[in-house]
Amino acid sequence: MTRQARAAFQTALAVGLLAAAWPLAAPPPSDWTLDVLGRLPVLEGGRVKPLDSFARSSLLMLSGRQSLASGGRSAGAMEWLADALFRPERADARAVFTVDDPDLRGLLGLPEGPERRFAYWRVEPRRAEVRAQAESAEKVEAARRSRFQAAVLNLDRRLELYERIQNTLMAAGAGDPVAELAAFRRAMPAALRAVHAGGAASASDRRAVRALAGMLERWRFLARAAAFKPLPPRGGQPDDAWSSVGETLLRPPDGTDPHPGLAAFALMGRAYRLGRPAPFEAALREYAAWVARTRPADVRRAAAEEAFNRAQPFVSGMALYLAAFLAVCAGWATRRPEAEAAARGLLLAAFAAHTAGLAARMLLQGRPPVTNLYSSAVFVGWVGAGLGLLAERARPGGFAAAGGALLGFCTLLIAQHLAASGDTLEMMRAVLDSNFWLATHVVTVTIGYASTFLAGALGAAWVLRRHWVRRPDPESSRALASLAYGVVAFSLLFSFVGTMLGGIWADQSWGRFWGWDPKENGALLIVLWNAIILHARWSGLARERGIMVMTVFGSVVTSLSWFGVNMLGVGLHSYGFMDKAFWWLAAFVAGQLALMVLGLLPPRFWEARRSS
Amino acid sequence: MRDKNVWRRLAHALSSLELTLACLALLMVLVTACTLLQVPLGTHRAVQSTVRSPLGGLVGGVLLANLLFAQFRRLEFSRRKLGLWLAHLGLALLFVGEFGTALFQVESQMPLEIGQTKDYSEDDRRTELTATDASDPRFDVVTAIPDSRLKRGGEIDAPALPFTLSARRYHENAELGMRRPSDPPSEATAGIGPNLLVRPAPPSTSDDARDSAAILVEAKSRGGRGLGTFWLSSALGAPQGFSLDGRTWRLALRPRRYRLPFSLTLEEFRHDVYPGTDIPKNFSSRVRLRDPGRGEDRAALISMNNPLRYGGKAFYQASFGQNDRLSVLQVVRNPGWLLPYAACALIAAGILLHFGLKLRASLGARP
Repeated sequence: MTRQARAAFQTALAVGLLAAAWPLAAPPPSDWTLDVLGRLPVLEGGRVKPLDSFARSSLLMLSGRQSLASGGRSAGAMEWLADALFRPERADARAVFTVDDPDLRGLLGLPEGPERRFAYWRVEPRRAEVRAQAESAEKVEAARRSRFQAAVLNLDRRLELYERIQNTLMAAGAGDPVAELAAFRRAMPAALRAVHAGGAASASDRRAVRALAGMLERWRFLARAAAFKPLPPRGGQPDDAWSSVGETLLRPPDGTDPHPGLAAFALMGRAYRLGRPAPFEAALREYAAWVARTRPADVRRAAAEEAFNRAQPFVSGMALYLAAFLAVCAGWATRRPEAEAAARGLLLAAFAAHTAGLAARMLLQGRPPVTNLYSSAVFVGWVGAGLGLLAERARPGGFAAAGGALLGFCTLLIAQHLAASGDTLEMMRAVLDSNFWLATHVVTVTIGYASTFLAGALGAAWVLRRHWVRRPDPESSRALASLAYGVVAFSLLFSFVGTMLGGIWADQSWGRFWGWDPKENGALLIVLWNAIILHARWSGLARERGIMVMTVFGSVVTSLSWFGVNMLGVGLHSYGFMDKAFWWLAAFVAGQLALMVLGLLPPRFWEARRSS
Repeated sequence: MRDKNVWRRLAHALSSLELTLACLALLMVLVTACTLLQVPLGTHRAVQSTVRSPLGGLVGGVLLANLLFAQFRRLEFSRRKLGLWLAHLGLALLFVGEFGTALFQVESQMPLEIGQTKDYSEDDRRTELTATDASDPRFDVVTAIPDSRLKRGGEIDAPALPFTLSARRYHENAELGMRRPSDPPSEATAGIGPNLLVRPAPPSTSDDARDSAAILVEAKSRGGRGLGTFWLSSALGAPQGFSLDGRTWRLALRPRRYRLPFSLTLEEFRHDVYPGTDIPKNFSSRVRLRDPGRGEDRAALISMNNPLRYGGKAFYQASFGQNDRLSVLQVVRNPGWLLPYAACALIAAGILLHFGLKLRASLGARP
């Protein structure tokens, strides 16, 4: 490497790493100490998480985004959640509900047009109608629902989530929460007297009973409706006995003080409604300090997860992968070694951000890297980029780097979209609750996916090169082909071993080694295709060009096994990401097939181009 | 010049790599078809009509023959090729294992309510007709006729029975309803059959639904006297039957039962969820295993990913119901269950060895 090239490499690496670390150092944008609120641990979806995670995954589910555009600036998920929790009437006016289905828009009386997200108040007049339609759609088997039915059911679930959020800390539309809590404490002794005295109770005591009955009714509703459980268990209670505000109010523990969270959330709610940041912060900080004393481990974990949410390593990774890919292209166009070196630096920085994100997820979850479709996308990209880096070291020329960067970028993009289905650190269902098998089978088979994609990317690069590079360069072509061969061999090993480990897992948990289920078949198809490539090469039936075209088809097989089979049961009428993903998948497959045709065009095609 | 010896030519063709590629490609087509057909047909029928069809067996068999011929005719036996030898022999073992599974594996279920003891499992894809001599209040004498015999139709003469049965019609799946006056008359003459309307239905395609088979069967005494024609179905619970020579006989169609030489009692079923959700965290059944023949009497815990293996069978936690009072165990008998494990170890070691050597050579040759 020349001195300039080394400098370019180091600069690119340093700039990339700094850019990736920036979100951690950036100051919080709001004056409401919402960052402190966001770090508070709550129980939701079976695990303790920071409120920030709940805010982000809820907003993603409702609107498909992690932030909102409001009044010319972007509002974070916590800002939206604080409104929804404490000032529902303001949250109702925020355009968060994505409604795309034209029939559903018709039902709701929403205008046709480019506007995609609507505020709650615009949907509210037809709320009962949505519920009724959703109820009838629920009776239809998931795969047989029409597009409208799927959309209305989906909207109903999102509306319900939103309504539950509003009724988690205080009843939506209730007056002053502090006054209500105080009235409850005042009324309690009198009401008890009235109950014990029966008919002989005084008039004021009887009034207390009536007042209490109204409050109890609201809190019973709160106990049912709460979207998450904000109040941690106190001394003597079991570790997972988190409770909602309503539950705690209805079941005050004997002989102890009321839960400090009740007063804290009431004070915060009042201050927030009145627009006073100072008392809000005071109540929040005091309560946060109490939680930190009571549940130190949960608070540490929640703080770490909130930092991870803020850092968004996969978003920075995605940007850096794209930059690295563009730098490789610039290197090819200009033939300057500095650009190539900068590309390697950027790729390394992207890989570092990606690795940090992956490691953080594993530490937070205490699980191997792949636990659901989202994390499989993240991991496929990580392996692909890592292999690309390694292969680039072994065989420089930019091809492996470009393939790795492209794979990293695309998979992280897919992961971003998959995240909209909810909490990506979700708990594992019973049969999957096995770190041993997740670590062996799932990881191996996912590495198999990644390397088959990388081989496909190399094949695509080979085809494009043959087409666009004017000066024939059989040496590079052969180097690329031998690289692809190595990657295919690697893929065969991992996809085979991964598939077989899956069989062994299935044998352990269901009593059959192989059940021909779509996911198993998908994995088997990848193994078969890789085996076909290797045998075709060995028999001499396919030579350099044939092998490279076949590796491109490997990408098709892998994408269908990875995502295609998930769409089988869902049917083509489903709503949400999988519906859109179907068309993207079709486009990807079509693109790869076009590349294969391009690769198979006779050499004369190229020569004619060159001579013209 | 073509070889005159037919056998040598056949062996040559069988060991060709072109055949390997053709078989692998065909296998891909079959597996793809199997996957896509699961949407309209359900898993079981899709598998039966593709990979486990005669064509699937043929492709698998040819591939196996091809593998062995190529291995022994073409591949030199050297240290350099040891990896390939291991991988391909492992592959052959895997094929043998899958053939074995297709032929010998028997799957059945054992639904157990808490406190219930059973010494049999049920196969809900097969049925059996039972004729029960219920005359003695202390015990029943049951004669079971498997569905393979029932489907053939004709007269069934079981030596243990004082009467003969003729299977007139057998439906793999049937819809049962009450017969209305406007419906055509029933073919049944006894039991509840005359009131029933039995319509054949296509086999269910959902993996959760089970077929309810139905059979129209006529009973005759050995003297040739008609005892009645009955509609029997696994969906019918009410007892049907007749009296003959002072003995009470009951007829029924039920899921085929496999006797076990030991019994299981469900002592406890647990269905744990993550706090505050209904996401299942774990299912487990604590059972008591009693095997008087071997003097075993012990508790065993069956949970997800942790089956109980006993007496050549494995018991898995499969399902549950009745508000967590019922646990359904999947019972699998597969004598070749260890084959895939051995095969996988061989293949993995083989591929690793082969490509490891190649990678070393390739990196070593780098300028």
